[in-house]
Amino acid sequence: MNDLSRRNFIASTGIGLAGLAAGGALLSPRQAQAVSLPLKALTKDQALTLGALGEALVPGALEAGIIQYIDKQLGEPNTLLMLKYLGVDTSAMPGFYRSALGSAHRLSQRLFKKSPEALTANEALAWAENIAAGTDKEWQGPPAGFFFFVVRADACDVVFGSSAGSEALNIPYMAHIAPTTSW
Amino acid sequence: MTPLTSNQQYDCVVVGSGASGSIIASKLAEAGQSVLILEAGPSRDLKDLISSQLWARQLKWSGSAVEEEGNHKIGHGFNAGFGAGGSALHHYGVWPRLHSNDFDILSKHGKNLDWPISYETLRPYYDEVQADVGISGDAKAEIWRPKGEPYPMPPLPVFAQGQVISKGFSAMGLTTAPIPLAINSVPYKGNPSCVYDGWCDAGCPIGALKNPLVTHLKQAILAGAEIRYDAQVTRVLTDKNRQDVASGVEYIDREGHTQRVKAGRVVLAAFTVQTVRILLNSVRANGVALGNQFDNLGRYLTTHAGRTVFGLFSEQTDPHLGPTGGQLICHDHYDDKTAIKDSFGSYQWLIANAVKPNGLLGYANSRPDIFGPKLQPFMAQAAKHLGNMLYVGEDRSVRENRVMLSDKTDKFGIPVARTVHNAGPEQEAQMAFAMAEGEAIFRAGGATEVWTGPRAPIHIMGGAVMGSKEQTSVTDDLGLVHGTDNLYVVGPSLFPTSGAVNPTFTVSALAYRTAEHLIKTG
Ligand SMILES: Cc1cc2nc3c(=O)[nH]c(=O)nc-3n(C[C@H](O)[C@H](O)[C@H](O)COP(=O)(O)OP(=O)(O)OC[C@H]3O[C@@H](n4cnc5c(N)ncnc54)[C@H](O)[C@@H]3O)c2cc1C
Ligand code: SF4
Repeated sequence: MNDLSRRNFIASTGIGLAGLAAGGALLSPRQAQAVSLPLKALTKDQALTLGALGEALVPGALEAGIIQYIDKQLGEPNTLLMLKYLGVDTSAMPGFYRSALGSAHRLSQRLFKKSPEALTANEALAWAENIAAGTDKEWQGPPAGFFFFVVRADACDVVFGSSAGSEALNIPYMAHIAPTTSW
Repeated sequence: MTPLTSNQQYDCVVVGSGASGSIIASKLAEAGQSVLILEAGPSRDLKDLISSQLWARQLKWSGSAVEEEGNHKIGHGFNAGFGAGGSALHHYGVWPRLHSNDFDILSKHGKNLDWPISYETLRPYYDEVQADVGISGDAKAEIWRPKGEPYPMPPLPVFAQGQVISKGFSAMGLTTAPIPLAINSVPYKGNPSCVYDGWCDAGCPIGALKNPLVTHLKQAILAGAEIRYDAQVTRVLTDKNRQDVASGVEYIDREGHTQRVKAGRVVLAAFTVQTVRILLNSVRANGVALGNQFDNLGRYLTTHAGRTVFGLFSEQTDPHLGPTGGQLICHDHYDDKTAIKDSFGSYQWLIANAVKPNGLLGYANSRPDIFGPKLQPFMAQAAKHLGNMLYVGEDRSVRENRVMLSDKTDKFGIPVARTVHNAGPEQEAQMAFAMAEGEAIFRAGGATEVWTGPRAPIHIMGGAVMGSKEQTSVTDDLGLVHGTDNLYVVGPSLFPTSGAVNPTFTVSALAYRTAEHLIKTG
């Protein structure tokens, strides 16, 4: 996200607070309920926030398992998370996600007086846009724009990084050795 | 706890089992020497090379943290491997030679450094390596190629993406040639040819791409070299009576015990940052680290600037096909390092890399500005119509860019490495020129939309540079650490300057030369 011009970024998304339409919540009650499955690294609120952000950025991320992926990988000594490439040491990764998810949750409350999982699709896009722009003065933790980039990349990993994701794009996966599990 | 010292004495202990270490180990073992390889990471097998952008991340550096600073950080997390085969296990096999103008930059231009050898010195070793390992390419089509034997294999095919982008190069009056790749276009020495599935970043388990598990590490083990995994070398030991003689190394084994092994020679092949870290942690009685008598150790750290140009073409490009390293190469900007205003150095284009949808290099992450409902249509279009090519720019060699020891320590109490790397205005100017050129090439090739990724560090070099004078280098031209009798460095840390080509062919040629010397003088 470092090189991305914030202004161009906002312009190119073509969404703004004014254009919001009402709609159903981003996570269905069943999906929200499913998040109470045992979590190792994240609290339920953090997991719901992650699910809502991942889904807003990359539709399908929730069903593809973004919450389970991040929660599991935060406990692995040799993690599969892309954050590994981005200069964040493994020991600092749980704190990275937890602090930023807390900020993202508070931002949603301030913008819409709702928890992220209760945002409508359009509200969630505006929330994500705000995180990307990095303008929230009360944001704590890693820079918001960087966090946006990381969660978007994680969501792309779970949605497009499997043989099913590849086939959905109409490209053959062609594994030499297929992974036995996605992550 | 008292270190455990084995009484067994080896002719040579090699630290690191990657590209350079496995060459030294195989050559010496084949010559009848007793060789021990100590490898910090785990053992790995070809069956561990799972075709997945996620699982590929397990091959990356997982040892002690590396602290990074500067406006162009070196990206150790992406650029370094860990375990059998090192980074070379999942490298992309792009193997061009340095050009002769890379070796005498200080003499010719009054900046950076000179190499203590010329291209002509290295040429026979390049030829020997390419015959042993096998490179596919078209020497004639590389009009800029320095002298050398033609490649032993024909080039890999050029797929739609390469054909489409090459039209842009032709329209701009620029030349392309097949990339010289350490990948089989035909079966070679028992390994099959490539099937063009673009999984090189996760490692090539069929051995079409020459990683150490199918080349020198395999040969080293067959020739009798012993290897210990999960063995993190912490320092080089010196003789009690003669501090200029390395007597072996200290390492921490997988149980966390400190061990010592004795050897007649020590060869450090732990890749750039860790090789320097081991030397900086090897302090003599006079308080000076081995190789640091003139404060050159860790200095002249370099990394190539890599930046990808992406475009959407109306023609179908099938960007999932081919090797990850790319299909075509252009060195038209190599031989005149002063051609671009306010800039200095060479650069190359690596064209039509096979890309996956996700991952750091995938097309989804090339457009972080697209998300939500707009993402799927973009992905569907990119999956069929994306073109991309990578700019690789030469770095400057300056003393301020360096590897040091941090105040922080790893879990064993050993200081971790801290790196500072800044690009200068000349590198910025070159990259700006190249990005404008890249965009023009893509437009000339019919791209309807063009964008560029961020600058990324690719390859890590320098830090224990070779030179003809002790005052300005860490080793001599064979990698022998100044002020020592039997301590050698191999790998890209020896490079006084980065050039603008991928380093592993040169790393291998240098290691062949050092191995030859170690055998002759063994
Ligand atoms: C994704 C990627 C793609 C690449 N593609 C190309 C390419 O197309 N062409 C090219 O020319 N180059 C490429 N490279 C670079 C290439 O991999 C390196 O130049 C080459 O592997 C360097 O060889 P080396 O022997 O110095 O280090 P490595 O091959 O990295 O081996 C070093 C070994 O030392 C071990 N080690 C480290 N510290 C210690 C310690 N304290 N004790 C014991 N062992 C230790 C490490 O675990 C590692 O196994 C690529 C690299 C990456 C990461
Ligand atoms: S594209 Fe070729 S070299 Fe790369 S992983 Fe596939 S078969 Fe191996």
